Amino acid sequence: MLVRIFIFLLAVLLPAADASAQMASAEGEAASSGYFRDQDTLPGSYRLYQQQPKELDWLWAVGPEKKKPRRASFLKDSHSEVRDYSPRTRCTDCHREKTKDLHQIRMGITCVQCHRDEPIAGVHHYYSAMNPIRRHAYVCAKCHEGATPSFASYVVHEPNPLVMDTEEDFPLLFYGVWIMLILAGGVFAFFLPYVGLWSLRELIGKATKGGGDE
Amino acid sequence: MSSASPQVKRFTAVHRLWHLGLICIFMTMSVTGLAWMYVETPWGYWLAGLFGGYKATLEIHRIAGLVLLAGFAAHILYLILRIDWKNFPKSLLGPKTLVFQLVDIKGFFQHLLWIFGLGKKPRFDRWSWWEKFDYWAVWWGFMIVGVTGLILYNPVLSSDYIPGWLLNVALWVHRIEAAMAMAHIFSIHFYLEHFRPHSFPYNASMFDGVVPLDKAREEHAEWIARLEREGRLEEMMGKEPPVPMRILYFIGGYAVIGLGLFLLVFALMNAAALTLF
Repeated sequence: MLVRIFIFLLAVLLPAADASAQMASAEGEAASSGYFRDQDTLPGSYRLYQQQPKELDWLWAVGPEKKKPRRASFLKDSHSEVRDYSPRTRCTDCHREKTKDLHQIRMGITCVQCHRDEPIAGVHHYYSAMNPIRRHAYVCAKCHEGATPSFASYVVHEPNPLVMDTEEDFPLLFYGVWIMLILAGGVFAFFLPYVGLWSLRELIGKATKGGGDE
Repeated sequence: MSSASPQVKRFTAVHRLWHLGLICIFMTMSVTGLAWMYVETPWGYWLAGLFGGYKATLEIHRIAGLVLLAGFAAHILYLILRIDWKNFPKSLLGPKTLVFQLVDIKGFFQHLLWIFGLGKKPRFDRWSWWEKFDYWAVWWGFMIVGVTGLILYNPVLSSDYIPGWLLNVALWVHRIEAAMAMAHIFSIHFYLEHFRPHSFPYNASMFDGVVPLDKAREEHAEWIARLEREGRLEEMMGKEPPVPMRILYFIGGYAVIGLGLFLLVFALMNAAALTLF
């Protein structure tokens, strides 16, 4: 009986000890060279690999990905449930809204360069290169040397910051962009008519030879 | 440009040097920034080509940004050294400083009333409210563009300290603030300083440091009156620069204005071709 209890305790405690060691190791590694580390490519807690100060945790409340991921994003073949799907179909025929990002527009990066070849796995599939636990190493780092999991949280297919849906999907982007636009709009809404009227007043002043003093 | 009237010194050599440096860096950043932002359009592609392609354009933009931030830091240091610490904080107030004060709010409303013909033309001292706005707008712009620019300078490194998705926000804030700064400088600032009836066809005071006394009396009446009261007007009188220098200032200034207007017009014309979202 005692032996069974010992084995049970061993089975329970050992993974916990391993996890705590892994966490301590991850913290230490965070300050290392920035190149890939073994644990970067292993499955585990995504949160464990967030290389950012704990003081910034509050920021996640206004960050992206508030919505529950779609079921298809966990599938090995994300198109397996799509009727009439053919590998010859162009990605952009269906995912038109995913073509308006800086990666495609400015750098000409194609869909499969990140999402890989057929069958295209869902981004949350356990072995997908796009899975957040290894996305930085398998995808981002192909161009961005030393990419970290935090870096990989950049939203490549970012939502339109002006629409109301973004207030829910990515609040900081929504409010940040709107505040800046209101600021810019306010400056011009004030100055353009002001300067126009001012010039008119100066012209009237010159025309009446009073120098506009009265 | 033509004036045989007596001139009063308005800007010191250091003021003019700061402004000249700012023009050079701001225009470099504007051209390279717009080239990168519009690289998907033929105009942006052509603009980037002038610098040897988008990679070189972006590199120049980044280096110019660092120079701008270094200049800004040097300017802050210069201000710290210039402050009269013995009489601080009282020394920050008064007609000689660019610090916003109650008199500026009063000046703004007096100016507004004058525009609508409801009051006399306000008698501004050395700095009017819009000149102070122009000065502090650069600070506010640098704070926003500088911080976001630094974040974007090395996004991989930045994401070690902030969540990577903040790069999305930083990029948008950087773009909007930069676009606002350029649009303001190329339209409002250029118009106010060079094209409104008081200044037309060109106000060279930021280059030659002097302003015709009659113009100064017109727009900064209280400043001239104060100098006269203090008996300092004589010592503040300056000389008009020689003709070759005036021609140089005119051509140089109009080249910058022309470049700014070119960027503004083509950026607006090509805005519809940009894929923003």
